[in-house]
Amino acid sequence: MVNHDLVREGDQPVYSFVVLEGLIGSTKYTGEGKRQITSFFVAGDIPDLHGLHLSVMDCNFSTLTPARVGFMRHDALRSICDQHPRIAAAFWRSTLIDAAIYREWVTNVGRREAYTRMAHILCELICRMRSVGRIEDHVADIPITQAALGDALGLSTVHVNRMLQELRREGLIATTGSRVHARDWAGLKRAGDFDTTYLHQKTPAD
Amino acid sequence: MARFFFDSGDRDLVLQDEIGVECAGIEEVRRVGFEGLVDLSRDELKSIDGQQLFVEVRDENGEKVLRLSLSLDIKMTR
Repeated sequence: MVNHDLVREGDQPVYSFVVLEGLIGSTKYTGEGKRQITSFFVAGDIPDLHGLHLSVMDCNFSTLTPARVGFMRHDALRSICDQHPRIAAAFWRSTLIDAAIYREWVTNVGRREAYTRMAHILCELICRMRSVGRIEDHVADIPITQAALGDALGLSTVHVNRMLQELRREGLIATTGSRVHARDWAGLKRAGDFDTTYLHQKTPAD
Repeated sequence: MARFFFDSGDRDLVLQDEIGVECAGIEEVRRVGFEGLVDLSRDELKSIDGQQLFVEVRDENGEKVLRLSLSLDIKMTR
């Protein structure tokens, strides 16, 4: 199911969830009801891990594509962390990387032109999906709506289409249905002002 | 709901919308087109007197439905 809220702002969950399949977005709404997607989460990510320490959710987590998730009880996670400091450290590291991704997201949406912004977000998605073995080469099935891309980038749907068209025209991507193929990965990274440092991958997928 | 296509550009370069946007009616087409024009001008409007930017909307049969445009006037006043 798409646009299904797994966790809502104000909730006090006793679980955190791990993404098994699909794409999840953290989302916030303005007072006028406009949605901003503030980050993507792919398979292997634990989007609301911070809920383990912050009792009230300050954003929503919604499915952006059909997705499968697994829930983990907070009390079970706490006792695992107490018994295995290395797991606690890995969880800590994971939330620090989430914060790095949010910092990059703010820079992208706030300061980059629409064309660069679009290229950047495609690079990030492809990199993150590659690093967890979800895609081979640089062909990603991203069945995300243009409206959701617009909400992620702070762009109108019409401009999202225009930017995708421009990236195609430049020979950087090819799209068939929801499948995005980075035809010129080096060119797409340049266009997107994309440097993988902020993802802190142990074996950077390139 | 029907799919509409929002081509956009200026006199030099028009990008055809190959994806389209689902809209419930002409009011939504107009709103969506206007938001597109605002983004287009933010990206493409240069300090060139007489520059024109537009968004032109086609329906699924290729019939033109709506055109939104704006042009920039720059005049020295002294």
